[in-house]
Amino acid sequence: MLNGIPLYWYLIVAAAMFCIGLYGALARTNAIAVLMGVELMLNAVNINLLAFWRYLTPESPAGLAFAAFVFIVAAAEAAVGLALIISVYRNMNSIDPEKLDLMKL
Amino acid sequence: MTVAQIVFILLTIVGLGAAFLVVTTRNLFHAALYLIASFFAVSGFYVLLEAGFFAAVQFLVYIGAISILFIFATMLTRTVRGMVPRNSQWQAALFIAVVLFVAMVVMFSPISFSLPTRSDRTFGGVDWQFAEVLGKPGVLRSVPDSSILDFGRALSDLNQYGIALLLSGVLLLIGMIGAIWVARERKPREILAERARMAAEEASEAARQSVGTKIPDVVVAHDSHH
Amino acid sequence: MDIINNLVKNLGDGIAAGIYGALGQGLAADILIMVIAAIAVFAVASGGFAGLTYAERKIVARIQDRVGPNQAGPYGILQPIADAVKLFTKEDTTPAEADFWVYNLAPIIVAVFATLTFTVVPFAPGVVGTNLNIGAFYIIAIGSASTIAILMAGWGSNNKYSLLGAFRTVAQLVGYEVPMLLNMLPVIMLTGSMSLVDIIERQAGWNGSWGLPFIVILPLSGLAFLISGIAEAGRSPFDLLEAESEIVAGFHVEYSGMKFGLIMMGEYMNALGVAVMFSVLFLGGYAGPILPPYLWLVLKAFGVFLVLMWLRGTLPRVRIDQLLNMNWKFFVPLSVVNLILVMILGKVFVSDPALFKANGGILIQPLAQALIMGASSFVLLMIALAIVTRRVRKDRMAEARILLQRRETNQQIAASVH
Repeated sequence: MLNGIPLYWYLIVAAAMFCIGLYGALARTNAIAVLMGVELMLNAVNINLLAFWRYLTPESPAGLAFAAFVFIVAAAEAAVGLALIISVYRNMNSIDPEKLDLMKL
Repeated sequence: MTVAQIVFILLTIVGLGAAFLVVTTRNLFHAALYLIASFFAVSGFYVLLEAGFFAAVQFLVYIGAISILFIFATMLTRTVRGMVPRNSQWQAALFIAVVLFVAMVVMFSPISFSLPTRSDRTFGGVDWQFAEVLGKPGVLRSVPDSSILDFGRALSDLNQYGIALLLSGVLLLIGMIGAIWVARERKPREILAERARMAAEEASEAARQSVGTKIPDVVVAHDSHH
Repeated sequence: MDIINNLVKNLGDGIAAGIYGALGQGLAADILIMVIAAIAVFAVASGGFAGLTYAERKIVARIQDRVGPNQAGPYGILQPIADAVKLFTKEDTTPAEADFWVYNLAPIIVAVFATLTFTVVPFAPGVVGTNLNIGAFYIIAIGSASTIAILMAGWGSNNKYSLLGAFRTVAQLVGYEVPMLLNMLPVIMLTGSMSLVDIIERQAGWNGSWGLPFIVILPLSGLAFLISGIAEAGRSPFDLLEAESEIVAGFHVEYSGMKFGLIMMGEYMNALGVAVMFSVLFLGGYAGPILPPYLWLVLKAFGVFLVLMWLRGTLPRVRIDQLLNMNWKFFVPLSVVNLILVMILGKVFVSDPALFKANGGILIQPLAQALIMGASSFVLLMIALAIVTRRVRKDRMAEARILLQRRETNQQIAASVH
């Protein structure tokens, strides 16, 4: 219990944020809004990682390193994803994931 | 009620409220701003978890860079004032999200729902009845003073995480080059060539579909007459 | 002497003791002390802001061969008060169809984030808001978060010129964070800690001997940090975005009254923050021989701000594309090369016997190491400037040649007509 906060409080908050992000990624008609849901999910994962690091292994840098790599990958993925969205918008004039079905059979 | 608990509850309200607004609002710019608010709350969580360095990194990377990327992309695709309504599959998404959340809460917290399987908490080979998980006091170790120093040493030591760091540098470089190339400004001649190529592809696609699923030589001869 | 030197610290301790005596050692006393400390820091920053607007107008006026405000009070001393009264009495408008919350929240965020940088600056030994162990990094992070407020201001004004101005401002701000961070890194590397107190202590005494400000050891980093900081603060010659003589005054065109006052306060606090950061990181903060420490910090910060005002009065404005080109094609490569140079020199020429035993290298005195680094930074700066001036000269000669050719053909055409 860190200052009166047990670990499972952080886990519940992270789970809630993850599920909200999941809903956002699955149920929105704009690709940028889908990416926002993905970013929420990545944030929730980071909260989880750092909570477990603090409560179980605070003297090891492994948790911190893992969280740092999640930051890095999230940033790279957001940049590339948004560039792709801009390019798709230029070609198809729409970024609704339901309408972008060129690769469907 | 300690101060930390009050702060935690406030941050939860702000963070989850903002996250909920992100996925339900119809105005995309407002969604970006609510996303920034939820990043702010997450940064507060990192401070509560005594990972202050990551709170600053969250500010710098998420609020200072990724949010600006989102807003720029919103402006460049011109759907700000348009609606972002719900999908055709939003009921399924809501169901999945709620079920997943309930499952995670049941698994990872002492909140019991009087389920008979709760007596056996070795899930995945791990005993989840950690004292820390259940909130028993006095078992928590403290963060050493040199934690940032150890973290830095671990990231630069090639035997630990140095190679991962170098690879993530390469990943960022590739991402940067790719993003710049994909979203580059195209000259008018290039744009016209792209549009002509896509129109030709669509025409051949439509011809193939109207003939049927077989791809006989008739179609090829038919195309060459155009 | 000791009393004068530690005046601020003793004052703070006295107030704290009084509050603890009155309220006991509990939570209420802690919160009250923190609130008073926050108000004190904010008062210092705002007082600096007020005095600096006046000083800037007078000094820039003198550089431009005029007098400056001298109507409000003797020598115009009360001009900031007159400005504040004017801003308060203006009508508080919100443009039609503007997003109410976004439009009204933006100036507050700008002002708040600009003032937050003063919470980690040490004003005297023992007088610091919070001695964060990531102090320098925190300041960069806070600076990067205030760019969101500018986008909010630009978009919330419901004005496409305001939006375009906001985009350009954000491009400049986000771009110049990179050289700022890259040039702070050699300082952090040489100190071994990101805490501002540690950095000042390192400059005050090098391994127990006399101290050397980092501007001597890392002149190139200091110069690049200062220029990037000026661009970050949006001051001349990089103020294309919000200068008064531009046709559209940038992202704050729809703001008037105290909201504009808050935005201006945010900008001045940013500039003052850059000046204070430069004096803490490179000039030694509150360290100095004779005067009390807080006076040294004020003198150094004001000296740097004087340089900023001098640049504003002297140099013409830089165009936005020239600005961004200069950043990504000159400052970032230069900062990276400088960082690599400092890393290599730091490993090769070690001054700490323990490190020498561990890693090898060439063992020299600390002063010699400092001078070698300073000299090599200076040489790198000269090389970079030579390359850039030669390239600029070549471009300009090519342009002049093209213009000359065009003029010749025009003359031939005119001659053949006659």
